[in-house]
Amino acid sequence: MTSVNQFANNKYTAGFNTVTETEDFEPGLTEETVQKLSAIKKEPEWVTEFRLKAFRHLQTIKEPTWAHVNYAPIDYQALSYYSAPRFRNKDEIPPEILETFDKLGVPLHERDALLGIESKDPNIIPTVAVDVVFDSVSIATTFQKELKKHGIIFCSISEAIQEHPELVKEYLGSVIPAKDNYFACLNSAVFTDGTFCYIPKGVKCPMELNTYFRINARNTGQFERTLIIADADSYVSYLEGCTAPAYDENTLHAAVVELVTHDRAEIKYSTVQNWYPGDENGVGGVLNFVTKRGLCKGESSKISWTQVETGSAVTWKYPSCILRGDNSVGEFYSVAVTKGKQMADTGTKMLHVGKNTKSTIVSKGISFGDSSNTYRGQVRIGKNAHNSRNYTQCDSLMLDNSKALTLPVVSQYNNSSIVEHEASAGKLSEEALFYLQSRGLDEENAVNLVVNGFCKDVFQKLPLEFAAEANQLLNVTLEGAVG
Amino acid sequence: MLVTQEFTVSVDDKPILEDINLDFGPGIHIIMGPNGVGKSSFAHALMGNPKYQTDGAVEFFGKDLLAMETHERSRAGLFMSFQTPTPIEGLSNFQFIKQCLDSKQGSPGITETLAKFKGLTDEFNLPNEWDKKHLNVQASGGEKKKNELIQMLMLNSECAILDEPDSGLDVDALQILTNVIQDFASNDKIVIIISHYESLIKNLNVDSVTVLGKDKTIRGDVDLAYQVLDEGFKNIV
Repeated sequence: MTSVNQFANNKYTAGFNTVTETEDFEPGLTEETVQKLSAIKKEPEWVTEFRLKAFRHLQTIKEPTWAHVNYAPIDYQALSYYSAPRFRNKDEIPPEILETFDKLGVPLHERDALLGIESKDPNIIPTVAVDVVFDSVSIATTFQKELKKHGIIFCSISEAIQEHPELVKEYLGSVIPAKDNYFACLNSAVFTDGTFCYIPKGVKCPMELNTYFRINARNTGQFERTLIIADADSYVSYLEGCTAPAYDENTLHAAVVELVTHDRAEIKYSTVQNWYPGDENGVGGVLNFVTKRGLCKGESSKISWTQVETGSAVTWKYPSCILRGDNSVGEFYSVAVTKGKQMADTGTKMLHVGKNTKSTIVSKGISFGDSSNTYRGQVRIGKNAHNSRNYTQCDSLMLDNSKALTLPVVSQYNNSSIVEHEASAGKLSEEALFYLQSRGLDEENAVNLVVNGFCKDVFQKLPLEFAAEANQLLNVTLEGAVG
Repeated sequence: MLVTQEFTVSVDDKPILEDINLDFGPGIHIIMGPNGVGKSSFAHALMGNPKYQTDGAVEFFGKDLLAMETHERSRAGLFMSFQTPTPIEGLSNFQFIKQCLDSKQGSPGITETLAKFKGLTDEFNLPNEWDKKHLNVQASGGEKKKNELIQMLMLNSECAILDEPDSGLDVDALQILTNVIQDFASNDKIVIIISHYESLIKNLNVDSVTVLGKDKTIRGDVDLAYQVLDEGFKNIV
């Protein structure tokens, strides 16, 4: 917890913006916008058609209103749907963009890799490959050659549409159809970039795959789309990080993430979400309306979601698993921290379809100030999902005037399955803080220890590099949250 | 030296203790008193528990104790063992003590600290891997009491207030407790024990006994303790 002292204040450290020459669309969302977007990306007709179908459906539906969040109505016509920094090719990335990622702490050897100096130093063994998305486009993807040796495809979704259309065509929208919900539909119409991964049969991905999303432009929506496919007997660990400048308008982020695992394959998906949360009065911040879902298609396959959510003004997000393959496993581990005027409505859905399927949900909500923090979960055990099991644990820790809400829904349609639910809710106790302080720890340190202990089960699920980052982020977030 | 002058302790503006004038030098001091008279409140108020309001003055090795925050009182050398220490999930015993030591100046290295900690858990007959167990979580009453004493020894405080350190301990543990306290006090430390147990009192070299009453406070030597144990409080305070 020594990291606390390294930060003099609790300002959002990623809140700067980058001045670079960009190509932007005028604000507005019409069928022409969608066509123009598809054209600028030189997409094949089936992608344009996919987008247009979604756009037309979007005109017939409304934003969901059931979540425990409030925000001013979004004027979709006032947003720009495309903003890309100008550069001719990936060897000529503008220095200010490289500097941006340096400032955000993307490690040096990764930055070197961005410049194309892959494995210049033989002593640096890559452990993480990165795809960097800056507003509407992917800037660079590292270690592609290294990964290609194993048959792994790791590239931007735009590149995948050009280079691997057969794979994208088969899976795009197969887990989250365009009509799934309002924000997924919007994304299907106007998605700009994102990451595509394919892990071939029997391959264990030798490094962590990481996408770093950076919103930079003002009044521009970010609509990224990620698609990860793990073929039979493969394994991949994927990490996602995100930050945005501190603007005083809300920024809309509506992403879609689809995962597919075939027989005995496993995807471990980790997120550290640190979008700009707005200021202490609730002005500005990212509206994070994200649809994430994994399909355990094959038998004995596994999908594991781990998320640490500290950012965004409003979060609406439920990473879910469809456990279709017999013996498949779904997991959801979440820490959601809200402070100030933040509002989070997050949780998961575990849909048991196959026999002997298992799911585990561990959710930790921590709320400070005037924030509100809702866990919303659905566990559905279908009539053919014999001998299935779910274990759910939801804990909330509250301070100040914050509100925590737990809304679990369980439906079970057979008699051979077992569902367990444990929940706890408590105020961060004065007694606990006094006890720790009586041993010489100051208040901030004492709060850190209690909160870190509370989140330990989830942090342990994060890959090593990410766990340290998450810990640090949590400490920075807590700083100044007390008192 | 710990000196209280017209020390008054209240909760929600209701006085619990009024005008307490006591001094404690190096050695072992016993505090007794009828139930509910405010013995634990005295300890908590000295440590700075925000639940209590205080008045008067307390001098601690020349410093104004009441002007300090709780963590500053600890860093100045004051320690208090809790009757029912609070459980903290996810925080291991060792991680905790290491953090506490690190918050003070000149903390020893991790290897040295761990060796000392494990030495103590062995001495106290605590289960293996006690260092990894979470602080006061799924521990028995006796284990928690032992853990409090280990913290006292690790922090090597100048003055320790022990709030019923003997309750819930078995005979063997009580023996360890008396040895540890006697040994600790022999290094010029101030030990203030809130207790009613004869077995603890008779096995320690007690320097003073204070009986806190509703209307008065009586100071004496160890014979005062035996008088209380014989006759009860009613004839004394």
